[in-house]
Amino acid sequence: MGPGMTFSEPETLDEVCSLLSKDPEARCLAGGASLVAMMNAGLLAPTQLISLRKIPDLGAITSMPDGSVKIGAMARHNDVAAFSGFLGAQRIISAAACRIGHPAIRNMGTIGGSICHADPSADYPTAITAADAVVSILGSEGARQVAARDFFVDWLETTLEQGEIAVSVTIPPDPSNASVHYEKFTRADGDFATVSVAACLGMSDGVVQTFRVVVGGVAEKPVRSPEDEAVFIGRPLKDSDIVEFSAALEALCNPIDDMRGSADYRLKLMPRLISRALKRAQADQLVSDSGETA
Amino acid sequence: MTESNDIPIRLTLNKSLKSVFCKPTETLLSLLRDGFGLTGSKRGCNQGLCGACTVLIDGKPMRSCLTIAATCNGRDVVTVEGLLENGKLSTMQQALVDSGGVQCGFCTPGVAIALTSLLREDPKPDRTKIREALSGHLCRCSGYIKIVDAAEAAAEKAGS
Repeated sequence: MGPGMTFSEPETLDEVCSLLSKDPEARCLAGGASLVAMMNAGLLAPTQLISLRKIPDLGAITSMPDGSVKIGAMARHNDVAAFSGFLGAQRIISAAACRIGHPAIRNMGTIGGSICHADPSADYPTAITAADAVVSILGSEGARQVAARDFFVDWLETTLEQGEIAVSVTIPPDPSNASVHYEKFTRADGDFATVSVAACLGMSDGVVQTFRVVVGGVAEKPVRSPEDEAVFIGRPLKDSDIVEFSAALEALCNPIDDMRGSADYRLKLMPRLISRALKRAQADQLVSDSGETA
Repeated sequence: MTESNDIPIRLTLNKSLKSVFCKPTETLLSLLRDGFGLTGSKRGCNQGLCGACTVLIDGKPMRSCLTIAATCNGRDVVTVEGLLENGKLSTMQQALVDSGGVQCGFCTPGVAIALTSLLREDPKPDRTKIREALSGHLCRCSGYIKIVDAAEAAAEKAGS
């Protein structure tokens, strides 16, 4: 900690943006679960901590009239996990939130903190990409909206520029009422994923209507290929297509060796987890289909 | 010694109101141990992984090592010392002792906080629920069985 280090708790977002724009080494403090851990490890020494806890309603989770769900940046993992207003593919968000860390971490950590930290092995980056979410960003130059798949840029790096803050994540409605499955492989419960798969699958009359599969932990950011997803639409879900899809995704991967698994191991896990996630989502679709007709 | 950028905060700590100055990056864990001499909460990993520093903040278990002390202004903090009832171990604490759930003791403060919180939310948890509440609390002595036994025993005693 430097002698000039300061702490503030502004009450407006404009004030936050102003502080951020003047100091490249200032950091927003949300739940602390990632930021303070990095400070404790000596990896980061911000010149300013800007606590977001006094900003009104930044943690709200709201069902909007158009069916989308707006999640404020300060919404805690436990609150997102327990939110009952997600429908169809939107539920991939709560499915991932309840797998983040441990109970005490889920009481602290926030969706804004998690996505801005942008660890590709974390749960939210993969989930919000699969949900086709949009991140709302406010900066001293104005507001902008960025699709989740464009929000993540590199290892621990997002599209946020100096002076900008992510204020909410909007999850669009899913008229196809897709099933979801979040498949997370870890060596120990509550750890970051070795590999994770967020799958949203909607089927009607035996053919695929909605197909989104995003893989975490295998590259610098979540891996997704809309072109390869499009192949599934309007056809029955076939094992051979899933095998080809996994092979196509592998070309987009850039895995690393670390204590959670080698790069090779990650690539061997990926097709198995994709297949498992889709099978579970499909089984869930069959249950909800028969429920509708009964 | 206070410096110009020290932050004055007031918090409720184990049911009594405290006013104190803290450094901008000081964690709640450091404030508790070094500022208040409450050494029950332990510094294990300092990364939020081991659970030994867990305290209740506004009634919910959180990691004091990942909490910047200045953000506790106006909040309610309870440490393992604050679980005592009339100067005696609480039902949950006593059950940990009686069931052999305390060995080296390093994880115990965090475990006691987590299980106290669990029993407040769910007075009759099954063993799966108890294990879920204990996830994120590393114990290298017990194998957890005795700790789960203790939570069951405390639930039974509180319900009788």
